[in-house]
Parts: sequence; C-alpha cells; structure tokens
Amino acid sequence: MPVRVAESSAPSQLSGSNCGQTSPSACSLLSVGQAFSGTQNVSSLQKDEAWRVNVRIQGCDLEHGYLCGTMEALNVPMADTPVVTFWEGEIVDTKNYTFFTGKWEATPEDDIRHWTKFPSFSALQSHVEVDGGKSLDLSNYQYIFMRWKEQYFVNVGTDCGLTIAGFYYVCFSCSDGSINGFYYDPNSSPFQKLELKSTNEGRQGFSFSSYELR
Amino acid sequence: MPSSASASVSVSASASASASSTTTTASGAHSDLLTRLTSSEFEVQLKALRELKNRIIGNRTKKLSFIKLGLVPPVAAILESKAQAQVQAQAQAQAQARHDSNLLVQSAAALGSFACGFDAGVQAVLDAGVFPNLFLLLSHPDDKVVDAGARSLRMIYQSKLAPKCDFLQEKNMEFLLSLLNSENENVTGLGASIIIHSCESTAEQKALCHAGVVKKLISLLKGSLSQRDNSLESLATVMKNNVEAVSEFVGSESGRALSSVIGLTKDRYPRTRLLASMCLIVIRNTSACYLQDIGIKTKLVHLLLELHDDPGQVGDEAPFAFSSLISEKPDLQKLAFEANAIDKLYNHLQKSQLHPKRFQGILLALADLCSKLESCRSRFLSLQALNLVSDALTHDSSEVRTAACMCLRCVSRSIKNLCAGNFLNEMIAPPLVQLLDDPSTSVQVAAISVIGNIAVDFTMRRSLFVQCGDNVCKEGIFMEFTASSLASVICDPEPFVQEQALALIRNLVDGCIKSVELVFTEDGMILDAVRRQLQNASTDEIWIQGMYVLSNVASGTEFHKEAVMHQLIPQEDNGTQSFILKFLQSNESQLRTAAVWAIVNLTFPSCPGSFSRLVKLHSAGIVSQIKSMVNDPCPDVKLRVRTALGQFTTFGDCST
Repeated sequence: MPVRVAESSAPSQLSGSNCGQTSPSACSLLSVGQAFSGTQNVSSLQKDEAWRVNVRIQGCDLEHGYLCGTMEALNVPMADTPVVTFWEGEIVDTKNYTFFTGKWEATPEDDIRHWTKFPSFSALQSHVEVDGGKSLDLSNYQYIFMRWKEQYFVNVGTDCGLTIAGFYYVCFSCSDGSINGFYYDPNSSPFQKLELKSTNEGRQGFSFSSYELR
Repeated sequence: MPSSASASVSVSASASASASSTTTTASGAHSDLLTRLTSSEFEVQLKALRELKNRIIGNRTKKLSFIKLGLVPPVAAILESKAQAQVQAQAQAQAQARHDSNLLVQSAAALGSFACGFDAGVQAVLDAGVFPNLFLLLSHPDDKVVDAGARSLRMIYQSKLAPKCDFLQEKNMEFLLSLLNSENENVTGLGASIIIHSCESTAEQKALCHAGVVKKLISLLKGSLSQRDNSLESLATVMKNNVEAVSEFVGSESGRALSSVIGLTKDRYPRTRLLASMCLIVIRNTSACYLQDIGIKTKLVHLLLELHDDPGQVGDEAPFAFSSLISEKPDLQKLAFEANAIDKLYNHLQKSQLHPKRFQGILLALADLCSKLESCRSRFLSLQALNLVSDALTHDSSEVRTAACMCLRCVSRSIKNLCAGNFLNEMIAPPLVQLLDDPSTSVQVAAISVIGNIAVDFTMRRSLFVQCGDNVCKEGIFMEFTASSLASVICDPEPFVQEQALALIRNLVDGCIKSVELVFTEDGMILDAVRRQLQNASTDEIWIQGMYVLSNVASGTEFHKEAVMHQLIPQEDNGTQSFILKFLQSNESQLRTAAVWAIVNLTFPSCPGSFSRLVKLHSAGIVSQIKSMVNDPCPDVKLRVRTALGQFTTFGDCST
C-alpha cells in the first residue's frame, strides 16, 4: 500500500483520479523549454570557486520517469567557450525509479547521505531507508527528486580537461521552480552544490512553449 | 521475343495474330498455338491447351508475351462453349462429355496459370469475360472440372483485381456457404479466398458471423493443410477489429478453437505458423483482454523473428505481422528488444538484393520498434543501421523510400541524438530534402515528417544569454507566413489545424522578449483571432493553446499586459462573462493551469500597472474565482493559484 506523504494542507482527492498512479503530476515549471540559471560551487580545499550554470529542459516523459536537457557552464577556467553538456534525468517517482541509485558507483549510503542534504527529504527519510521509498506516493508532493547524469559534451571534445563521470542528486521545488543539486563523483570534490532558479529571460512573468516530435 | 506494338494486356486475337506473323520463329510457334486453339478438332485443341499451360507455368515473361499475342480469349472461348454446352444439354453422349470435360479442365487450368501471381494475367482473364463461366464449372457433374474451376478462381481471387463479392446480398451469402460446405477442398478453399478478398466492412464481417461462417471456418481448422491455412486467414479477416466475432471465436468449443490456433503456431509448416500467429495478433489487437499472458506474447515475438529467416513469401510477410504485433505497444516492443529484434532485423537488412516488399517490411518493423523506446533507438544507432536506411532513401521502390522515412522518423524521436546533431549530416539531410520533390506524394509526406523532427534545433537555444539568433529565425518564419495568413489559419475550419496554429503562435511569442511584438503587427489582428477562438471554439485543446498565447504575451511589457487585459475583460459592460472565468472553472486541469498563469503574469510584482489590473480583474469576478481555487485538486493548479494569491496580497487587501 503506498503511503502518502503528509502535507500541511492536504487537498481533498478527486474521486477516482490518480488511481494507482504514483508518478509526479505534471508541473508546468518543469516542462520542456523551461530555463534555469544559477551556480555550481566547485570549491576545493585550495580555493573557492563557482561556475555560472544555465539549464534548459529539452524533453520530458513523466510516464517513464524521464527528463533530459542541456547544461551550460559559463566561466569554466580551462575552456575558451561556455561548455554545454547533454544530460538525462531519472525522476524518483517510486515506480520507474526509487531513491536508491543502484549504479554509477553510488551505494544506498551514498544516496541517503546526499538526499538528506535537502530539507524537504526529511519527511521521507524513514521510508526511504527501508526500501528506497517504494512504498511512498510522491504524486502530490511539492518537491520532485531526480538524478541528472550528463551523457556527452555538446560543443567541446572529450579532451577538454573536464569530466562528466559523476551525476547530480537533484531536488526541484514545484512551487517556485528552484532547483538544488549535489554533484556526486567519488573522484571529484564532494557535495559540489548546484543552485538554480527559474529564469524569466527578461520577461515580467512566465512563458511556456510546447513541441511534439512526429 | 516478339515485340508487340501494343502495351495493353487485352489485345484482340486478330491484332496480335497479325503482329506475330511478322516476327521471329518463336512467335511463329505462338501463332501456330493460336491456330490450334481455335481448331475444330478436339484432340488438337486439347493438346494446344496442355502445351500452352506447360509453357506459361511459373514464367511471367512467357505469360505476358502470350497475353499480348491474344491467347487468352481463345482459351476463354473454349471454356465458355463447353461450360454453356454442359448447362444446355444434360444428356450428352458419354464420349462427348469426356471430351468436353478434358477441354474444360485444361482451359480452366491454362486460365488459372495466366492469373497465378500475375496481375496482368488476371486482367486479361477478366477482360476475356470468362469469370462467370468459371463459376458455372463449380456445378459440373465431373469432379475434375469442379476442381479445375475452383483452382482457377482461387488464382484470380489472390489478386486485388478480382471483383468483390457483396455478402450483404442473400444469394451471395448462400453461394458462399455452399462453397464452404463443399466436400471438395479446392471449393472450400475458394470460399475462404473470397472471404479474404472481399470482406472489408464491419457490416460484412457481421453478416458472415450471423450466417455461421466463424463456426464453419473453425471446423475447417481440422481439415487438410490448405483448408487449415485458408481457415486461419479467413478467420483473421472476419475478426479484425470486430469484437463480436472475436468473442464468438474465443468462446467456441469451450476455448478449444483458440487453443487449436495457439497449437498451430508450432506447426511444421512455416506458412501455417505465420497464419496462426497473424490470427492471434488480430484477436489481441481487437480485444486487448485476450492473450495477455507473457508466455504467449514472448512466443509470438520469437516465432515472428524466426519466420523472417524464411527465404520465400513467408519471410516477406513476417515483418508486417511482426509490426502489427508490436505497433503502439511498448510492452511488446520491450519484449522484442530483449529478444534481440533490432540486431536480427538489422542482419536481414544487410543482405543484398532484398525483395522490395521484404525491404519495406523490415524498415517498417524497425520503425515500430524505435517508435517509443529509447533503448531500441540507441541499439539501432549503435549498429550503424542509419547507413543502410539512408541508402534506402534512394531505392527504386517508392514503398521502400516511404518506409525508410518512417524508420528515420521514429529513430529521430531520440532527443539525446537530436541534441547531439546526429541526424543533420551529409548522409541523411540531402537525400531527405530531395524526397520533397519525389513523384510519390506518400514519400513526400513521410520525408517532411522526418525533416520536421531533425530540423528541431535544440542547440540554437543553448545559451540563455545569446538569444538574437532565436528571434531572427522566428521573424523569418513570421515573414513567410504573414500576420493575415496566420490569423486565417487560426480560424481554419478544422479544429486540429486551429490548435496547431495556436501552438505555433504560442511558441513564436515565447523565448526572446522581442518576439512578443510579432503578434502586434497589422493592428493586432492575430490577438483578435486568438480571442475569437477562445470565445467561440469548443475544444479544450484549442483553448489551452490559445490561453498560453495570451499568458505568454502577458509575460511581456506593460503594453503587452494591457493588450491581454483588453482581450480578457469585455470593454462594454453588457453582462457578458469573460471566457477566462469559464476556463478557470473547467474540468481540464491543463486549461485551469494556463488560465492561472495568465493571471500570475498580469499581476506580476513590481510592474507599475499590476495594481490597476488587479482591480479590474477583481471587478470582473476573476479574483474571487482564483481565491476559490486555493485547494484545487490538481497540484500544479493549486501551486499557481497560491503564487497568484501571494502576488495579490502584496497590493494590500484591494481584492476583498
């Protein structure tokens, strides 16, 4: 039996709706075309450093817990141009994916260590520790948890001196579209923090596009 | 080879006789054959018929040359005279009757040979007017004649050119039942062929069911090899998309009929296995409640992949059956992927000199496999299969070119590969663009679909800060269309076109803020057209796209926001309610979301005009509607409503 995550003012359920469905409801701020910008802290013991980062959602398939997009790092020291990567995301919907990564050199302990960095995770932690959160129904939760894994460099070669070996633990806030993430790669500085906000791209408001491949 | 002056397949005997008289020795033999066929002597005619039949069997070139020389009409004439004679004179001398029977058998066989697997032959036989006479043979007292007549008719019914039988006419149905009830295997086979060829509409399927045809066909499953095959194919025809027939079949003989078809998927003959699996696929595609067992699904996937290895007709048809099994069904596509289907089909594709039908079928099967699952597309691309598909874009057969486009279309749904620009290369793009001028319209349509996918330029928008390129492109598109044609296409008679047109405008005004200006050209006629659709159209899809146009425009400057207010709030107070109130109360959550976003944008904090707009929205009853939605059942709507309410409060309590 799925357990619903308690919410301060839980809405009354529409009768018959969402029956057996555990994937997150569509959030318009996490739809194709939406852009986000912010920083990734890449500080090491030697020095403090942060890169400006832009992200755009390019594809979304909630039924399969899939999201993809591009990520652009702007002031990367060793690169002449902004470095663009393509990433694919797994949405933790407890149907397609749980909180346990099960790959990319991430143990359940690594997973819990990263997820607990998000305050919104604390309500879920006890369930997640049991089975990765399989029993949770996150469809009405205000936050969407994801893993983003960069797949390739779009505009530079693999010899650019950068690595995309790791992946991000990501928490998206449905209410304001803000994104927090932590980069995990056993061979890189731990807990590099990604902080992004929904961008209006010079507008006084929010704008939405749509496309469909034939 | 004689070089006939006429390309027609129905040349008259005299014309071809004169043509042949001027050609080579070979055609001399042909004209000799013509003379002998028209001889008055029984033995000469019979020998000529046998010779003719033996010479054309399995030889299309010979068939065509004889057709051109006019040999079909004299054969038809022999059959006609003897068939009619049989009807008119019942009591003939035995010897004469035997002679006539021999001539009937041989002439029917020769006509069947002309028609076998050869449309020009079928046309020549039909042109000779002998079709009704062949049916007369079915009531002949001599079984051999009946058999020959039935065989010949079956050859004709294999072709699309054969006349359709109207089962809704009672006498035709009775005739069909008499065929199916016959003791003669070829006659029951003919009955099945007629069903396969003629049954198209649901009304016809129902008429056949009501006449007891399903039951009869089930009994034929226990018959000979050919009866079984015919029965399987006819059953598939009668049950296709017909829930009633499927449930009759599945319930027959306490499920034994279904079990026997499942059993036939293990038959030793590949054709029987193929037909049995096609029958099961029809049952499953018609009524999804049957054959859901994973075992049977996996078995069908493996069986059909294995049948691709057959070098003949079965192998040519297997990919089409495979497609109908997996099309639109991700669960079966996944099973097929796990059964290594991509690799197996790719191996077939690599073979040289593929028959065009098989080539087409394999490309379509790959298209279906790659239509939904990224794992399939990824495997397909890793095999370098794209090279073979790009070669197929220039194949001689238009069916193969269309299938190649459809395959590319499905593979190019991979956003991962689109973003990497993997389809915009020298190998794919130039031949695709050339296909836009293809003589076949279906190739053109298929090609434009692929171009529509691969031309989506994801990388163009890669920097949030370099957006001029985006706007230049949009302006270009806008100039091509012009405001007035866009306004008219928004009001197209077809609802689907209206929706797509509004989606186009929505995307035009998204992105760079400058692009919002596009809808204000020519006195804002586009915005007026959008408002008309929001007031008058009647589908959620149109309203959603239209509402997003207004919402996107409302994310612009003060001027843009005021323009949207002008569309939302009726100027003269004549009691008309704003359409946005209706949308906020809609049952469609996406429409409510779009409508709330527009309100969020109109009351965006720190915009000078937001307060006065809020006052107007309040007077129009929109603010109180938003307040009532604070616990909307859709989480997305609820959050957007809360954003709006949060913005309202920054202006004090004007709204109460």
